[in-house]
Amino acid sequence: MTPLTRGAAALALAALALSAPVTSAQAAGTGPLRAVGIENQYADVIAQVGGAHVQVEAIEIDPNTDPHSFEASPKIARALAGADLVVLNGLGYDDWAEKMLAAAANPARQDINVQHLLKLGDDTPNPHLWYDPGTMPAVAHAVAEALAAKDPAHAAEFRANAKVFDAALDRWRQAIAAFRSAYPGTPVAVTEPVANYLVAALGAKVMTPAALELAAMNDTDPAPQDVAAQEELFADKAVKVFLYNRQVTDDLTRSFLDMAKRHGIPVVGVYETMPQPGFTYQRWMEATTAAITAAVAQGTSTERLVPGQ
Amino acid sequence: MLGLLPVGFLDSAPVQHALVIGGFAAVVAALVGVPTLLRGQAFVTDALAHVSSAGGALAPLIGINALGGFVLMSLAAALGLEAAPPRQRAERDLQTGAVFGAGLGVAALFLYLDVTLPGGSGNAVGVLFGSVFLLGASDILPAALAGGAALALLALYLRPMLLASLDPDLAAVQGVRLRRVGLAHLAALTLAIGLAAMTVGAVLSTALLVAPAAAALVLTDRPARALMLAAGLGLAGMWGGILMAWQSYVWTAGHAWPASFCIVAVLIGLNLAATLGRGLWRLGRRGAA
Repeated sequence: MTPLTRGAAALALAALALSAPVTSAQAAGTGPLRAVGIENQYADVIAQVGGAHVQVEAIEIDPNTDPHSFEASPKIARALAGADLVVLNGLGYDDWAEKMLAAAANPARQDINVQHLLKLGDDTPNPHLWYDPGTMPAVAHAVAEALAAKDPAHAAEFRANAKVFDAALDRWRQAIAAFRSAYPGTPVAVTEPVANYLVAALGAKVMTPAALELAAMNDTDPAPQDVAAQEELFADKAVKVFLYNRQVTDDLTRSFLDMAKRHGIPVVGVYETMPQPGFTYQRWMEATTAAITAAVAQGTSTERLVPGQ
Repeated sequence: MLGLLPVGFLDSAPVQHALVIGGFAAVVAALVGVPTLLRGQAFVTDALAHVSSAGGALAPLIGINALGGFVLMSLAAALGLEAAPPRQRAERDLQTGAVFGAGLGVAALFLYLDVTLPGGSGNAVGVLFGSVFLLGASDILPAALAGGAALALLALYLRPMLLASLDPDLAAVQGVRLRRVGLAHLAALTLAIGLAAMTVGAVLSTALLVAPAAAALVLTDRPARALMLAAGLGLAGMWGGILMAWQSYVWTAGHAWPASFCIVAVLIGLNLAATLGRGLWRLGRRGAA
């Protein structure tokens, strides 16, 4: 589906949601705040900051589907219309939500667009912002301020929770620093740019042609020259690890997976949305970083973080 | 001759698979295209091709090969059309239009489910517009089976097909069983559509069936010559398009154009050249006379 038709559908749904009666917590004045994280990693951060005072819903939670191709339903339009706080990624990753929120403008609702929060231009090629260690602390503090504005009685608690969340990322930051100094400039291959911010933070280098990453991400025809370049990386053992996006797979990515295994390149499965069950954002990032470290240090593969996903 | 090809072209595995499977698909589609155009069924072809997209979208959901999905859905649509023979020619267009719309509606559903259900491919662009460079060695056998079956049907029924297309009443008098011939033609047509859809996608598969056959029928009235010309033009379009897609990597500094666009562009170029060539030849003859 083209972005244009998807946008039109989203607008129609938003209009539908607007005409529905809004009976949110804020209208009633009591009860917990209602918040929506478009991707479940953002919902997890809201839940950690908001604690018992916020009821959080995540929209994109299925690790087996491709969030890039997600389409909204009337149920989601209603959830957004009744929310006090919405956190979305931006950069076209969830443009259906952006359009829906714009169509259902509500001055009482706090919208946090992570792209705008980080002051990133629309030409930023990689939308997978949560793999950047700097992203979620900023999101947590913005969420704390937004919740504090809606519920001043608990402002101190929200701000304290954001600090606790930030501190809980220390273990991940230490793992990144340890990798950086132990394995500087590690060459890696990928199917698409999902974890590339983490790769950059690790001081590693993505060797896969950029056009091939975009072809895999956007489901377009790959150039044979780029396919050959990627296959050479495996055949020549020119990369230490292959990061395989578990949520966007097709014949091409599967053929790369087979080839990596055939040439003994360790594989690490990476995800677009937070795998469930058993993960918080911090644990997910720690597990991914530990898997990459194990691949480079011992040559072990971690194809999945959760069985069957 | 091979030395003129760009370095690395024939060594690339995606190119090899594209040349073999794509070339075979183009030849089968062009051959089936000739009796199809003579029977005046370009619109039916387009409808069946579009409806096959529903099959391509269904295939990953039920775990079958994409080719099987394309053929299955266009065959279902073809049988639906055949089950209700029209009383007049205009009625056939109405029925075809209805099947066309219904099929695309189903395609919209399956493409949506591809995106939203676990295990779906989410590759709508691939189903509709193809990715010839994504074909692999495992696609060769199914392609050979489908293409072989289409060619066998064509070999068995070509004469009655041509006779029935030129003069159905005469054919009936001569003992041609029109219904059976019609079914054989539809079966060959759906197999060719599936094969073409595998390479350039469901929407563009019409181009592989219609463009080479149309160019050939511009150049000659004789069926045997038209068949050979169409096969040659189809192959030239496919291989030329694959070469153009390879070269576009250089022109666009690594961005590359989709192979399906390049294949159709070369096919249309050949069509224009055929039409222009015939016009010039006629002008020349008139000038000489």
